[in-house]
Amino acid sequence: MLPPSSPVHRPENIHPSLWLASQLARGGGHGVSSGFEALDAELPGRGWPTGALIELLLPQDGIGELRLLRPLLARAPASAQRAARITRAERIALLQAPHQVNAPGWVHLGVQAARLLHLQADNAIDACWAAEQVLRADSCHALLMWQPRLRKGEHDLLRRLHVAAQAGQTLFFMLRPWSCAREPSPAPLRLTLQAARDGLEIGFLKRRGPLREQSLFLPLTPSPNLQRHVPTVDRRTPATAAAGSIPSELAG
Amino acid sequence: MVFERERVTALSAPARALGVQEGMRRGGVQLLAPQALLQERDPLREQGLLEQTALALLQYTPQVTLAPDACVLLDVSASLRLFGGMRALCRKIGVTIARLGVSATLSSGVTATGAWMLARYGNVRTLRSRSLQRRLDRLPVVLLSAAQAHLEWLHGLGCRQLGQLRRLPRPGLQRRCGRALLDMLDRAYGDLPELHEWVVAPPVFKARVELPDRIEHTDILAAYAQGLLVQLAGWLAARQLSIKQLHLWLEHERGRQAVVPTELRITLSVPAWQEDHLHTLVKEKLARSSLPAPAIALGLAAEELQAMQAASELLFPEPGGSPEDHQRLLELLVARLGADKVRQAAPRADHRPEIANRWCSVMQPATTLPAPLATDPARLPPRPLWLLEEPLPLRMQQHKPFYRTPLEFTSPPERIEAGWWEGRPLTRDYFTARDARHAYYWIFRQWRGGEASDEEPQWFLHGLFG
Repeated sequence: MLPPSSPVHRPENIHPSLWLASQLARGGGHGVSSGFEALDAELPGRGWPTGALIELLLPQDGIGELRLLRPLLARAPASAQRAARITRAERIALLQAPHQVNAPGWVHLGVQAARLLHLQADNAIDACWAAEQVLRADSCHALLMWQPRLRKGEHDLLRRLHVAAQAGQTLFFMLRPWSCAREPSPAPLRLTLQAARDGLEIGFLKRRGPLREQSLFLPLTPSPNLQRHVPTVDRRTPATAAAGSIPSELAG
Repeated sequence: MVFERERVTALSAPARALGVQEGMRRGGVQLLAPQALLQERDPLREQGLLEQTALALLQYTPQVTLAPDACVLLDVSASLRLFGGMRALCRKIGVTIARLGVSATLSSGVTATGAWMLARYGNVRTLRSRSLQRRLDRLPVVLLSAAQAHLEWLHGLGCRQLGQLRRLPRPGLQRRCGRALLDMLDRAYGDLPELHEWVVAPPVFKARVELPDRIEHTDILAAYAQGLLVQLAGWLAARQLSIKQLHLWLEHERGRQAVVPTELRITLSVPAWQEDHLHTLVKEKLARSSLPAPAIALGLAAEELQAMQAASELLFPEPGGSPEDHQRLLELLVARLGADKVRQAAPRADHRPEIANRWCSVMQPATTLPAPLATDPARLPPRPLWLLEEPLPLRMQQHKPFYRTPLEFTSPPERIEAGWWEGRPLTRDYFTARDARHAYYWIFRQWRGGEASDEEPQWFLHGLFG
């Protein structure tokens, strides 16, 4: 029996990047808080790691993935309101967005339109090249990249991007379809997202820490766009809305 | 191998192995090495190349001068600190010279004449006058160009090294060999001051390089373009300028099948002078352009220039890239993806969502953009994060719009009625809706002939809430 003070019980004392399979890794430095206590507690480094490839796997676009990132994206220095120049801490790059980016909608999310940089490439190779350049320059706070399924032989691109991400401090999110979950990936953090009533179910596919079988339910306020519409008038739309709006637990 | 007046003056190592030597005649060479490439020496081109080298080296010091025997002298005493010491400076100069496609021996010394003689002898770097004198003492007398005429007499005396020459009595030496030899010796040892005529950068930059063959690979062209960009960097540094627009042209076949030169213009959003940055831009631009025919020559000219603005640095640098890095990033992205693919938001104040959401190229200066929207989102009606390119018609199922699953309304309608002043009236009721899988959509009901008409309204999906 090993004494409790043995280095085997506390491998982080030997080297910060060592951890037991039952612990969450602490060595990767401090992450950027996601804005949700419950999620932070499950992430190694207590937040989104900077300088690493983070994969978010979605069943379809628009299920609330950006509401999940909202505290991170909307957090901006107070100077953002008046300063004409956009600094690094505010800039957000969007690469290969699935639809037209609606700037007024992002203003609702709390992201000033001037903070966005919108990139569109013709093919996967050019897109990865652009992502690598953005990560190298390290002049954006976050890079959101939508990457559809890769063809065979293009998986090296992911490894390359992960290496490029490690050189800087950029928060690098790659949003991919759910079907990519079975493919191998060099990303140290892979989460699956699924829409649920008033929130998101987050599954931990891969993380530096113990395996977590059941998914984490994260309550998200409905998009800020949906709240406070016509604030003074509390009026429901007739009939159509009433039919299916009774929650299932009440009906049963 | 190279000929001058029918004699070999320079040759490659394989030719030497075949027994060819300096001073041989053409006939003898052809007998020994029939497959050798014979070139006539071209002093004009050599001089041109030397001047190009001097121009490129102007980025390290403003004081550059040409010396006989294909030497370029640089006064680096003021540059050592800036470039991080002698070793780092020599490494940088070596890289620059290699990019020009030239090989060189590098030597340094506290006097220009001394350094010049050391360079012709080999790679010798000295930093102090004592070590310079020690090295000079051992150099052969031949290197002293003023002593060429008296070489035989000096060798007859047994005087073969500079140290021995210095020990000879000066009055006698002056009477026999003249003042010039003694002056040169004194200048090399630092006993007499030196005067130089520095190279002055031309007022306009225009450089051209002939390619050795017809080339259509853009990678190879980019490598030759680097030689031109090195000169441009030197010229920009010497004139304290930064560049806004580059003009690169590729000359094609002349004569009967003449093809018009391909012209490429590279515009920078923020003036730059860094050679590496310009090179990556040129490389991407070349890779994207298609050549109508192989190129035989490459030219480069600086078109729009501005005074160089030194970057101001913070005492405590922020993590991550600087604003300059970001500008360079944007230019690089524009060079490969195209200006219309790298965009910034320029929203317009309009009620119609397609028109309100407008994006323009990042190359458009910020001052021409419209003022940002009102910053209080709570007072604005809801807007989705994504808009579809074209509104998607929805079919109805049990009096509910249907998209994958039946949609449920989660907000009261918002009426948008606009565009009548442009002759395209538009009447829409926008709703937010949720499907059975809890995703939110932005849908609208379009009244075609106005609300009063009998026509059934049509439902469309227009956006997604992320």
